Amino acid sequence: MFEFFFKYSAYVYDKGEFVLAAGWPAIIATAVLAAIAIPVILRYSSVRGKSSRLDRSVLVTIRLCVLSIILFLLLQPSLAVSTAVPQENFVGIILDDSQSMQLTDYGDERLAPRSDFIHELFGNENSKLMMELNERFKPRFFRFSDSAERLEDLNELSYSGEQTRVGPALDFAHQELAAVPLSGLIIVTDGADNSIDGLSASLQSLRANSIPVFPVGVGMERFNRDIELTSVEAPTTVLAGSQVSADVVIEHKGFSGETVLLLVEGPDGIVGTQEVELPNQGDSTVVKAQFTTTREGPHLYSFRIAVQDDEMVRNNNQRDILIVVQDRQDKVLYVEGEPTNRTGFLRNFAIDDDPNLMLGVFMRMAENKFWRAGFESAEELAAGFPTTREELFQYKALIVGSFEADFFTTDQRQMIHDFVSQRGGSFLMLGGRNAFGEGGWQNTPVAEILPVELVPPFASAIDPFYVDVFVTPTLFGRTHPVTQMADSLELSLQHWQTLPPLGIVNQVGKVKPGAVSVLEGKTVNDETHVVLAYQRFGRGKALAFTPVNQWYWQMAFEIPLEDLTHETLWQQIFRWLVNEVPGQVTASTVVDRFAPGAPVTVTVGVLDDNFIEINNAAVTAIVTSPSGQTRGLELDWTVDTDGEYIATFIPDEEGFHQIHVWAGRDGKALGEDIAHVEIAKLSTEAFAAERRSALLARLAQETGGRLYSPENVASLPDDLRVSEGGTTVLEVKDLWDLPLIFMLLVALVGTEWSYRKVRGLA
Amino acid sequence: MEVWRSKSFLVVAGLGVLLGGTTLAHDSPSLPRHTETVEEASGQAYGGYIGDRNFVISRGNGLHEFYFTRAIYSSWSRGYGRRGRGSWATDWPKADVQFLWGLKRLTNIDAYDFDNPVTLDNPDLRRYPFLYMLEVGAMQLTPPEVEGLRDYLTAGGFLFVDDFWGTYEWQVFEHEIYKVLPSHEIVELPLDHPLFSNFYVIEEILQVPNVGNGRSGYGTWEQDGYVPHVRAIFDDDGRLLVLINWNTDLGDAWEWAEDPWYPLTYSNFAYQMAVNAIIYAMSH
Repeated sequence: MFEFFFKYSAYVYDKGEFVLAAGWPAIIATAVLAAIAIPVILRYSSVRGKSSRLDRSVLVTIRLCVLSIILFLLLQPSLAVSTAVPQENFVGIILDDSQSMQLTDYGDERLAPRSDFIHELFGNENSKLMMELNERFKPRFFRFSDSAERLEDLNELSYSGEQTRVGPALDFAHQELAAVPLSGLIIVTDGADNSIDGLSASLQSLRANSIPVFPVGVGMERFNRDIELTSVEAPTTVLAGSQVSADVVIEHKGFSGETVLLLVEGPDGIVGTQEVELPNQGDSTVVKAQFTTTREGPHLYSFRIAVQDDEMVRNNNQRDILIVVQDRQDKVLYVEGEPTNRTGFLRNFAIDDDPNLMLGVFMRMAENKFWRAGFESAEELAAGFPTTREELFQYKALIVGSFEADFFTTDQRQMIHDFVSQRGGSFLMLGGRNAFGEGGWQNTPVAEILPVELVPPFASAIDPFYVDVFVTPTLFGRTHPVTQMADSLELSLQHWQTLPPLGIVNQVGKVKPGAVSVLEGKTVNDETHVVLAYQRFGRGKALAFTPVNQWYWQMAFEIPLEDLTHETLWQQIFRWLVNEVPGQVTASTVVDRFAPGAPVTVTVGVLDDNFIEINNAAVTAIVTSPSGQTRGLELDWTVDTDGEYIATFIPDEEGFHQIHVWAGRDGKALGEDIAHVEIAKLSTEAFAAERRSALLARLAQETGGRLYSPENVASLPDDLRVSEGGTTVLEVKDLWDLPLIFMLLVALVGTEWSYRKVRGLA
Repeated sequence: MEVWRSKSFLVVAGLGVLLGGTTLAHDSPSLPRHTETVEEASGQAYGGYIGDRNFVISRGNGLHEFYFTRAIYSSWSRGYGRRGRGSWATDWPKADVQFLWGLKRLTNIDAYDFDNPVTLDNPDLRRYPFLYMLEVGAMQLTPPEVEGLRDYLTAGGFLFVDDFWGTYEWQVFEHEIYKVLPSHEIVELPLDHPLFSNFYVIEEILQVPNVGNGRSGYGTWEQDGYVPHVRAIFDDDGRLLVLINWNTDLGDAWEWAEDPWYPLTYSNFAYQMAVNAIIYAMSH
């Protein structure tokens, strides 16, 4: 449409500079206009007859407009643009060879594969587009998916690539054509980039070299009917028996209000199901999927929704994630300021048979008289609560029961703070007559890490505080792993309603901003009290659990003997405490599943005994392939980040690879860690497969190119001529013969004639 | 870690002074509490000497961590219960309250100051994980009491048995406790068990005499119970459910600890044994 009125595309106007080719000074043109206009105005104003003052004003205005346009045309309006010298410049044509190009949403009926577009326009030498390109440029073809390469024949395209990596494809083509004058790069793709590469560096390089990119987007921007599991977020490493809560993002089009079943499948079959009602408003919803891990080792957990009728993409209804279930034993330190029933119930019922937890209990029985149990050796904590960071930081979680703050030295209180913020450990304060504000913890470093405010008045022995509260999960807590008491969220919530009340003896304030309440308690008077809250603090997290008699859920008459509420709650809290608490050495990869042949970069963080980053460690790794073959890796400090070391390798087998990392310094071992990656053919092309116009527009905007669709791609050769890339000459394009100007003149003259006719002035 | 030796520490010194003037009131005026009569709480009594039921049971409301809870059970004998009540009430409530005075001085347990008798078939029994029961040689449990005690122990409760003597009373107790825990075995608790060393180190099981024998010094035994035993019942997971003090009377030692004629050695041992049991029950 634009070109119909303005003769050239908007891109040409954008690239060109407006000039008046007649070369008259503007003052002369103005004088000429005035010389014509003034007599006309005077003539019309002196006319007396049947015309009114309004008539005369309208007619003189129209006449003056016509005169102005004619005068403007006499000034020879033109557009000066740099145009490519014919057959002097190259153009790179980069064609998407990934699987998503097989999706059938091209053509008038939206039934042809996207790849047809490539063959119709670029595979046919007689197509108008190719003829114009060949006439003006020297085209060079490339194909890309997970990698890019030169393409001699379009029949080599197989559309079987398992990834779409736009950035490396642009880099490759740019590099290949770096030595020749290059007018621009045409990239034909759906833009469904599913790589982890950033585009910024590639675009910056192209922009610096004045090479515009002309993306041609294919495919529908929005499918009519489709369900996609966009992402699944879950802990990558958990203890065996842990309750796992995964955030599943489900995106849909055309299924508003319909209910589908989400299945979770583990190594031993289905481990969870959940009905999901797809939202009416908005396309996506987040679902918490709950399941329990059992078998040790790296396992794939699949989340899927059965394929529905008329779905555009049938293999984007399933997502697989790798979860490493570890059978390690994590150390937890539990210090209790007085003999409490919960100590025995926790030890006896909650973690007694748990091989993955080592709960060391340090309990004060009387003034300066302590009882210890559950430690690795008789020497451990023989001198009391740790006095050095090294001693405290060996634990993954610290639980403080009814212990007054004054028992701890200033340094010990700061150590507890650092245990969370610096070491990344988990801290849990339990309710009790000497806990929270009643224990004098306000205005200490520990108060800073707690997720609840400690505000006076604090209860005391003289004025004790006590309330019974009925405990239920908060809106957030309903989907949290620690609150899951049954196979489904609904049953779990119903179970919470049946539990007898627990007692609270601490008056804590509100949950701090940024902290989250997981469980809350209501009194018979409907007053709300915090029961379980947590917040991230530094590298770790801190929890507050206010009831004093949680053991009652083991003993209560109202609860059947076979009920496992007490055990389940505390096993889940303990696992929450220790899961994902970092060690001194942590190995990770940016994703845990890679396509065959893709490079795998291992990143290792190394900390000393006080959990401070160190840059002079010796870090090595052994990669064990599924067949048992091993290879050694030496990891180097990244320099950019303290304590971070990396190495890259390319696996040569499919399946699970174990990466065992060791770090040491000055001959002393600092620690080790194990990461796992799976090498497998990925179905990433089925996800986010709609045309991503936003990404394609960015390619054009940041490089000075223009975005096309199959509907407007015909103007591409003309636009490419004025792209300013390659060898160019200055060309002046006439604008006097714009169709718009002709139509305007006709309209003005016609309007005057019509006006006269209507007013009887003709 | 410091461990207090049993023979080096005088447990109950001054108890008599502390106890002087104590009214044995059953409540703390500042705290709300539930009230209930024995009659209401026990439901049907069975063939025994429940006696006067028209008194208030002292029940905690959960504010305190520990309630010295005495089991009210049916019995065919009146025993030495106060004012004609059943054998459950032997030494009650003075022994209970006097023990609590000592417990609070010796440990930092947040204990309720007063006695807390509860019937075995009362659902609220489950609020108190530690249960004291004595004179079980006269015990004759009703079916609801059997069920109540079984569920209590299965749910996580701990039973401390005291003050029964000789072969006959053992047989009665054994018969009754097997109604509660029919598939469990009663075993001798060896001195190397952690219960004997978690607070005080107990190296010898003393026979604690009743107040009469203790004052007279004539002998420490009753009936044919010449040798004191500490026996136990464990569940399948090794959890200690029942601690049985046979041929000994710890309760009298607490009750008469302030009596200058009652030997300090026995009071001392009685406190140590009970403190260790309570600490063990709360931590295991």
